[in-house]
Amino acid sequence: MADEPDVIELATPVDRAWDPVVRLVLGGIADRIDLPFEDLDDLQLAVERLRAEAGSQASLTLAVEVTDRRVRMRLGPLRERAIAEALQGPEPQPGELSLRRILETVVDSYGVEEAADGELVVRLEKRVRGR
Amino acid sequence: MTVTRATRDADRELLRRYHEDGDEAARQELVERYLPLVRALARRYAGRGEAVEDLEQVGAIGLIKAIDRYDLERDVALTTYATPNVVGEIKRHFRDRAWAVRVPRGLQELHSRLARTIDRLTALHGRSPSIAEIAEELETTPEQVLEALETGSAYTTVSLSADGMEGEEGQDPMDALGAEDEEFERSEDRASLAPALRSLPEREREILRLRFEEGLTQTQIAERFGISQMHVSRLIRKSLEQMRRQLS
Repeated sequence: MADEPDVIELATPVDRAWDPVVRLVLGGIADRIDLPFEDLDDLQLAVERLRAEAGSQASLTLAVEVTDRRVRMRLGPLRERAIAEALQGPEPQPGELSLRRILETVVDSYGVEEAADGELVVRLEKRVRGR
Repeated sequence: MTVTRATRDADRELLRRYHEDGDEAARQELVERYLPLVRALARRYAGRGEAVEDLEQVGAIGLIKAIDRYDLERDVALTTYATPNVVGEIKRHFRDRAWAVRVPRGLQELHSRLARTIDRLTALHGRSPSIAEIAEELETTPEQVLEALETGSAYTTVSLSADGMEGEEGQDPMDALGAEDEEFERSEDRASLAPALRSLPEREREILRLRFEEGLTQTQIAERFGISQMHVSRLIRKSLEQMRRQLS
């Protein structure tokens, strides 16, 4: 695989019943790049938590860019502004378990981008560690 | 399990040494002494889709909790106190993992081998294995591994008491365990944590703290609790989902 990323896009309803489909797709991607099982679990958890926070909107698109060295994901558009506040707000206090702390633990970097119509896209990145 | 007076006295002396003198060897001796009880109780739940070895491991946690929480002022045999703890821990495990959908037997069998295979490969390589490595070890395809992993996510809460899984003498051990957990939680000062976090069982709270505050990997946490990495993963997901539901 070259440095030029392969791109996989998956649009699903937000309904949690579609979580298994998203997990399977991430699993297939992890297998493609030999991602360790625990790293796959981290990616799945990050996406699951964001999907859980998405609220009542109809659908979400997960775009995944894959190279040998990293997995970069973009999840959106999210209408729930509270997600941006949660991710861009102050550092969590000790003992506080927030979305921000969860993402800080399970991915190497994350960020929030403004999309059209005031909606948001959350970026997540996880590096592929050498063997 | 019949307990002679001599055994009971010996147990109490070991419990006293552990609780009053901090003698870890006494605790270990108690654990080893009652592992056969754990194995016997675990075998009662064989054939329900979980490896007996996993159930024994889970039951051992219940035994350790019973030893740690035993009150020396109570005149009760350790076996009497430990049995509902062990059974309760096994039932809690089933409750976490009860099948929600009918899963083909081949996938069930593959799933039941996954946790130990992942732990074994992790120990062997000193890192988490890839899906391909897991598949190779299990002599199957990566697709089957992913499907089996997903099968493990398809669990829901069911009433175990309605499934002929009552404990000794008709008592539901979950009742005993629940009451005990409440008591245990009252004694814990966790005021600094959010209410949703505080409402979780002690073990789940500690797992979340180790993962998200201390930054331990799931494998490291699994080693601390004597459970599989997959079990840690499931407990984390379940706890986060429970917290989210409470907050919303």
